[in-house]
Amino acid sequence: MIEIKNVSLWYDKNHQVLNDISETIQRGQTVVICGPSGSGKSSLLRCINGLEYFQKGDIIVNGVSVQDPDTNIHQLRSNIGMVFQHFELYPHMTAMENITLAPLRVRKKSKNEAEKKAMEILERVGIPEQALKYPAELSGGQKQRVAIARALAMEPKIMLFDEPTSALDPEMIKEVLDVMIDLAGEGMTMVVVTHEMGFAREVAHEIIFMDKGRMIEKGSGHDFFNHPKNERTRQFLSRILI
Amino acid sequence: MDMDVIARNLHFMLGGLVLTFELAIITLAGGFLVGLILAMGRLSSRAWLYYPATCYVHFFRGLPLILVIFWLYFLSPVVTGRSLEAFYAAIIAFVVFEGAYFAEIIRAGIQSIPKGQAMAAYSTGLTPFQCTRDVILPQALRNMTPALVTQAVIIFQDTSLAYVIGLREFLRRVNLVDAREARSVELYLFAGLLYFTFCSAGSLLSQRLENRRQRNRV
Ligand SMILES: Nc1ncnc2c1ncn2[C@@H]1O[C@H](COP(=O)(O)OP(=O)(O)OP(=O)(O)O)[C@@H](O)[C@H]1O
Ligand SMILES: [Mg+2]
Repeated sequence: MIEIKNVSLWYDKNHQVLNDISETIQRGQTVVICGPSGSGKSSLLRCINGLEYFQKGDIIVNGVSVQDPDTNIHQLRSNIGMVFQHFELYPHMTAMENITLAPLRVRKKSKNEAEKKAMEILERVGIPEQALKYPAELSGGQKQRVAIARALAMEPKIMLFDEPTSALDPEMIKEVLDVMIDLAGEGMTMVVVTHEMGFAREVAHEIIFMDKGRMIEKGSGHDFFNHPKNERTRQFLSRILI
Repeated sequence: MDMDVIARNLHFMLGGLVLTFELAIITLAGGFLVGLILAMGRLSSRAWLYYPATCYVHFFRGLPLILVIFWLYFLSPVVTGRSLEAFYAAIIAFVVFEGAYFAEIIRAGIQSIPKGQAMAAYSTGLTPFQCTRDVILPQALRNMTPALVTQAVIIFQDTSLAYVIGLREFLRRVNLVDAREARSVELYLFAGLLYFTFCSAGSLLSQRLENRRQRNRV
């Protein structure tokens, strides 16, 4: 479903952020990416939905090349949901308006239809009573669940998560992870940048460790945690698993 | 001091305020529109949009307004072969000139919105136009209201320059009364008081809006 082929990305001539990344993600799989700050995790996610231009390689999503000039990038993105570390909810809109904006504008749904669907999704993420609140009136965990609902409202085939819980207080992390675990269980294809190793153990089909723009190690949850091959991975795991 | 001179001519002078406000409001609306288009150009990554917009802004910000008014009024008949009515010459000069200032206010307002907002909008499939209209501009407008009100005050003051091509706005009428009555001190004090009242009301409003904006930060 997602094929990443030898992708390299430079922000400027001397600053290579992704170095020959290749990876294939099957439909229904959850892939977790971890690695130290600045290793290029966010950049890689942004390449997958065409928010970042890469100089080398190719990414094929659902059979469509992301950087092909003939690709309708807006249509492609509308089928890939994205969730950000800092929520990025639109502060001038209610939760409901945040969720229905793209269905109204991109899918040309009627207001009724879009709001009905939005309520269903808000129920699914457990906060239907927050529909008419503004982001500033919500807790961190509620904000992130609205952000997930906004992405789900487009009925995406793929969800990208960029450290969805790292800006949250500990007691709110679980409510967001639970939503993500449900999604994985329902067969959503997901790419998740996170350091929540409990989550990774539970749902990841594959875990990838990135460092300095390279994929240093990848493996199934069991192999990754119990027999890491690379020294850097071992160091990283020992720090993060305490 | 002869305050009676003001009372005697009050009706005539205040009549000029109608024209003053007319000029100011049309300039405000037109200048904002021109500024919005220029700001889009200034923020564009396309060279053929960026450079013309940037040159325009730098060009008009480098000229005194009075010169632009003169050019339009005295040069446009030479170029087009037809004389331009003073009112239209003033309006066009104001809109063209103030547009450059609005452009910078709007550009700064748009740039004050974090990049993540556009990313979120694009990630759901919105086009750049939809993203700007529905997500960026509403937030940017809210951020730049104080600066816009300040600019409106400046425009209100600038309209008095229209007298140089013979428009009988407020200040010109005061000037005409003075020519007849020879009471400069009283008349110009009165004119000053009037401008000051309107402008400080505007400045106060701008200050209020700014304070409220700071308080409502999330
Ligand atoms: N828009 C940009 N322009 C220039 N350099 C950038 C840009 N975005 C990221 N970088 C740089 O690229 C490198 C990789 O950044 P990226 O955000 O992908 O890393 P990350 O693995 O997500 O890190 P973090 O854990 O801190 O989020 C960093 O060195 C960062 O400074
Ligand atoms: Mg990151």
